[in-house]
Amino acid sequence: MNALEVRELTKVYPEFTLDKVSFFVKQGHISGLIGRNGAGKSTTIKGILRLINAEGSVSVFGKDFLKEEMVVKQTIGYVGGGFRYYPMNTLAAIRKAYAPFYPTWNQSKYEKFLSQFELIESKKVKELSEGMKVKFALALALSHGAKLLIMDEPTSGLDPLSREEFCDIILQLVREEGVSVLFSTHITSDLMRIADDIVYISQGKILAACPLKELLCKYKLAHFSSLADASAVNAIGVKAVKKGYEGLLPRDMQISESIAVTDATIDNIIVHLEKENEEKKHVKSN
Amino acid sequence: MLNLIKKEIALCMHPTAFIFLFFAVLVFVPNYPYEVIFFFSCLSIFFCCMMTRENGDIAFSCALPVKKEHIPFAKMLVVFGLQCIILFLVGVIAAIKGAVLPAEQYVNQAGISANLVLVGNGAILLGTFNLIFFPRYFKNPDKIGVPFVIGAIVVFFVIGVFIVLRWVTPLYSTTLNGLNSENTGAKSVALAIGIVIYAVLSAVSCKLSIKNFQRVDL
Repeated sequence: MNALEVRELTKVYPEFTLDKVSFFVKQGHISGLIGRNGAGKSTTIKGILRLINAEGSVSVFGKDFLKEEMVVKQTIGYVGGGFRYYPMNTLAAIRKAYAPFYPTWNQSKYEKFLSQFELIESKKVKELSEGMKVKFALALALSHGAKLLIMDEPTSGLDPLSREEFCDIILQLVREEGVSVLFSTHITSDLMRIADDIVYISQGKILAACPLKELLCKYKLAHFSSLADASAVNAIGVKAVKKGYEGLLPRDMQISESIAVTDATIDNIIVHLEKENEEKKHVKSN
Repeated sequence: MLNLIKKEIALCMHPTAFIFLFFAVLVFVPNYPYEVIFFFSCLSIFFCCMMTRENGDIAFSCALPVKKEHIPFAKMLVVFGLQCIILFLVGVIAAIKGAVLPAEQYVNQAGISANLVLVGNGAILLGTFNLIFFPRYFKNPDKIGVPFVIGAIVVFFVIGVFIVLRWVTPLYSTTLNGLNSENTGAKSVALAIGIVIYAVLSAVSCKLSIKNFQRVDL
């Protein structure tokens, strides 16, 4: 059974359409939802949590979200970025209001997280750093025994050290508590460290939903001396760089030895696939 | 639902929601349009909605294990509770005023006397505000100003109507005016009518608000 299954999630705005987004998160896996700003990552997460009225179906551990909303929400821990709520209230006041919603709330576990994350309950939310806000949101989400963590850009705004710490915490949670994680980000170095699977979204459409290794093995980065060389092999998303041109090629493609190739990183894959998409869109509109 | 109500009280109440309850003592001010006391209650709702917005409360609440329709319902139940308290306090303090002040000081030159009819009028005012404000507010909880301004204009218009009635109709200027001990039956009927109107308007407001909130994208 998958931790999360999203089928044909669709939301139409005047300027943007989330177009039949489908993917799944395996139990005990960390899935990274990636894409550029405005690609539809947050809309997808809001659609999953029914914060927006979207079409399509969502099931969590085999339970339909709409039919069993209350039960499903008990198993989800949602971390929307940092903790942007109730800036003037103390952490204790928020916890007191939050905990009664969850019959499975574990106060000793919460206190353990507070001490592990070095959070002081008498502090107000506005007194916390961005990193501490994320930790507080995590402490709340995990103390009611959430089995699926859904996080919307939890690492944006964090310094590299805090991001590293965050990744360690997530890895520890997956290993020790067996939670499954879906988190959106555009910081690909975080994904390289912790993600098992990748869901790549562009202009509201899923371009890839597969294990991270599979995506990385799909392409290689080719360096060309001229645009004509790149066109000759139909390179994907060719763009000018400091010395010549770069583009993606399918990894299994046989090419001349004169073309230098290296392993493609997630950044390379996103940049060139986005460029290819933009070019196709441009041609279509003309 | 009880947890949502507790959360509302703990995290979303602006201090004025409680402070303005004490404005019920304004019934001791001589020659004052006492219906204005209920406008302060409406003003406190505006401040609470501002606080809800600044705290990101609605997005936070929607992620909790509650149904979406429970969120506006819980908020409105808390407001109805506060409104019932102000109605009750005005009624009680008005009765105290009637008991302790000489009858000539009880006469109000600016509107109806502080009596049961005033409580009925207050109930109509609050019900009207609920009907106008909440369905508009829950259509887009980020925009509080326009629903409040429309609600406040209508509330002051209805207050004006009550003041005019006090001076131009014998029913209001004599039968329903003055101490509770005079024409108690008629005053009780006026109070009951006010409460029924409040209940109906608030129930309609609740239904419309829930319907509008279901369509909101956060």
